[in-house]
Amino acid sequence: MSAKTRGTPAVPMFRRLMVANRGEVAVRIARACDLLGITPVFATSTADRDAGYLRGRETVCIGAARSPQSYLNMQAIVQAARQSECTALHPGWGFLSENPVFAALCEAHGVTFIGPPARAMHLMGKKTPAKAAMRAAGLALIPGSDGILDSAEQAREVADRVGYPVLLKAESGGGGRGMRIARGPDEVASAYADAQAEAIAAFGDGRLYLERLIEGGRHVEIQIMADRYGDVVHLGERDCTVQRNHQKLLEESPSPSLSAEEREKTLAAAVRAAASIGYVGAGTMEFLLDQGTLRFMEMNTRLQVEHSVSEVRSGRDLVVEQIRVAAGHPLSFGQADVVLAGHAIECRINAEDPANNFKPAPGKIVRWHSPTGEGVRVDTHVDSGYEVPPHYDSLLCKVITAGATRDEAIGRMITALGELVCEGVPTTVPLHLQILRSPAFRSNHYDTRAIPGI
Amino acid sequence: MPVKNFVLDARLTPPVLRARLAAGPDGRQRLLAPGVGMFRGAPDPGMLVGPDQAIGALEILGVVHHVLAPVGAGGLVVADEALARGPGPARRAVGFDDILLTLDPSATRGESAANQSGPAARPGVSGAAVLRAPTSGRFYARSGPGKPAFVSVGAVLEPGQTVGLIEVMKTFSRVLYGGDALPSRARVVRVCQADESDVAQGDPLLEVEPVDAADDQNTKPHPA
Repeated sequence: MSAKTRGTPAVPMFRRLMVANRGEVAVRIARACDLLGITPVFATSTADRDAGYLRGRETVCIGAARSPQSYLNMQAIVQAARQSECTALHPGWGFLSENPVFAALCEAHGVTFIGPPARAMHLMGKKTPAKAAMRAAGLALIPGSDGILDSAEQAREVADRVGYPVLLKAESGGGGRGMRIARGPDEVASAYADAQAEAIAAFGDGRLYLERLIEGGRHVEIQIMADRYGDVVHLGERDCTVQRNHQKLLEESPSPSLSAEEREKTLAAAVRAAASIGYVGAGTMEFLLDQGTLRFMEMNTRLQVEHSVSEVRSGRDLVVEQIRVAAGHPLSFGQADVVLAGHAIECRINAEDPANNFKPAPGKIVRWHSPTGEGVRVDTHVDSGYEVPPHYDSLLCKVITAGATRDEAIGRMITALGELVCEGVPTTVPLHLQILRSPAFRSNHYDTRAIPGI
Repeated sequence: MPVKNFVLDARLTPPVLRARLAAGPDGRQRLLAPGVGMFRGAPDPGMLVGPDQAIGALEILGVVHHVLAPVGAGGLVVADEALARGPGPARRAVGFDDILLTLDPSATRGESAANQSGPAARPGVSGAAVLRAPTSGRFYARSGPGKPAFVSVGAVLEPGQTVGLIEVMKTFSRVLYGGDALPSRARVVRVCQADESDVAQGDPLLEVEPVDAADDQNTKPHPA
C-alpha cells in the first residue's frame, strides 16, 4: 500500500472521452466524466441527436437510427473518437461492450478502450475455455462435459454420469437458442441433433457441450473490480432471480438466500479467479445457486445495468473507478476498505405495456417525474418531452432504494414507484409493485421458474 | 457465441461512398456526409456538380473513400459562409449527415428537373381508404429476405389478414388488415412503404378501395 498512492492521481488522466452508447448508460458515464473533470463526447445516431440528455453536450453523429449503422458501426465510432480528440472510449453495456474486435480496433487507433484486455474478453466470451479457467481457480461448476462433445454417444455417457435432466448447449450460443433439454437417456440423441441443427443455423457453429439442468435455482452474481497491477476486489453479490424472458427485472443485494459461509467462500474464489486470468476493470461472474452451492455460469466482461446496486451498498463509484483504472491508476481502495452496508434493491422501469403482453411502447413522454427521498437513487436519461425511439431497447430508468434491512428497502421502493410519474407511454411500474407486494417476494419464497406474485 | 454483436461488415465502408441529398428551404440542395470522417477535396465555389461526380474524399480510420454526388444532385457549388472568410483547413472533421456541399440547382434547372421531380405523381385516389401504421417502427413487407411480400397491388384483403410486420425495439408484431374506417373487403391500390422502411405511427401503409362480392370475379382496373 505504501508504494501506491491510493486516491491521489499520480498518473495523468484522460481529457476527453467518447461515450459510445446511448440513453441511461450514456448519462451515467457522462456523470463520472464530470466528476473527474473529463469532457465527454457522445457518439449519437440520428434518432438520438436531438434528445434532451444531449443538450449542451458535445456530440458526433455517427450514423442512421438503426444500430448496425450507428451504435454497432465500429469504424464510425473509432473515427468519431479520433476526430473529436478523445483518447479514451467507454462502451457502456450492450452494443459493442463485449466485442474484442472493437476493443482491438480502438487500441490500434490510439484510443483506450475502457474495459478488460481483449484477451480476457475473448477468453470469457467462449463458454468451455471460460469454465475451464474458472474451475482451475477453484469455483464450483454445474456438473457436465469437460469441454466440447464429440458425438451423441459421448453426450449420452456424460449425461448418465451427471444425472438427468440435462441441457445440451451450443458453444457459440446465446439468447436461449441452440439449447435442448433431455429428461431421460432416450431423449439425448434427438436433443443432440436438434440443438446442433439450430446452432449451425443460428451461429454457424455446431459444437455442443452438456450440463446438468438445474431447475428452481437462484441467479446470483458477484461484482469484481480489478486494476492492471494484479489487485482485485469484490463488491459483494447481487441476486437477479426475478427475470422475465431472460431479462432481469429486479436486482437486490445481499442475496437473501445465500448462507454467510457460501458467500464468503465464493467471493474469495471469484477474486482469485479474476486475478488468475489477468482481469482488468469491472466485471461480473454469474452463478446459479443450487441447493446452497454457487455454481459458475458465465462472466460478463463489462459494466452491468445493475452495477448501481453494488454502488449504493459500497458507496464506491464503479464508473469513476473504471476510468481511473483504464488510465493506469491503481484501485483507489482495497478489499478492507469495501464496507457493504444495509440492503439495496433496483427496479428496471421499461417502456412496455404490461396490459398488452409487455409489448415495447415507444412514444412521447408528455410528463415525467422522478421519485426522490431518503435512500432513493434514480438513474435515467428521460425527462418531460422525451421521445422514446422505436429502434433500441426499452429501458427508461432504474430506481434504486437502500435501507438498513430488506424490508426497509422494499418499503422505500414501493413509495418511490408510487411517486414516479410517466405520462404518455405505459411502463412496467405496475408489474414491479405487484412483485414487491407479493408474499412470495417478501418472504423470499421464489426461484428462477416463476416471477413472484405473478 | 465467441463475439457478441459482431459487426464488421464491408458494406458499411465501401471504397466509394455516396453523399446523401437533402433539399434546403431556400431551394438549394445540401449534400450530406455519408459517414464520420475527415473530409477534403471539395470542388471550389462556382463549379458545376452533377450526379455520380466526385465531390471529395472522406478519410475514415486512415482509409480514403471517394465521395460521389447522389442521383438527383445537380447545380453550381455555393460558397460556404463559414469557409468563405479565408482559406479553411485542408480537411475538416464531419459527422454523419453534416453538410459537405451546398448546390444551387437553378443554374442547371433543365438538366436536373427530371431527376428532381421526386416520387411519381400519385394516381387520383379520391375513393381510396388508407391503412395506417398502428405504431412507430420498422416496416417489413415480407416475412424474410427472399420471401414473397405479404400483399401486392391488386391483392384482395379481408379483415385479420397480415399485410406486414412492424419491428419495435427488436420485437416483431403483425400488422393486420381491419378497422372501422376501412371496407371489409378491399383491393390494394398502392403499397405506400418500401420494405424495411421506418414508419411513424399513423403513416399510411396501404391504400385500398372497396371490393363488392360481385366485383371480385371480373377484376376491374382501378382508377389510375
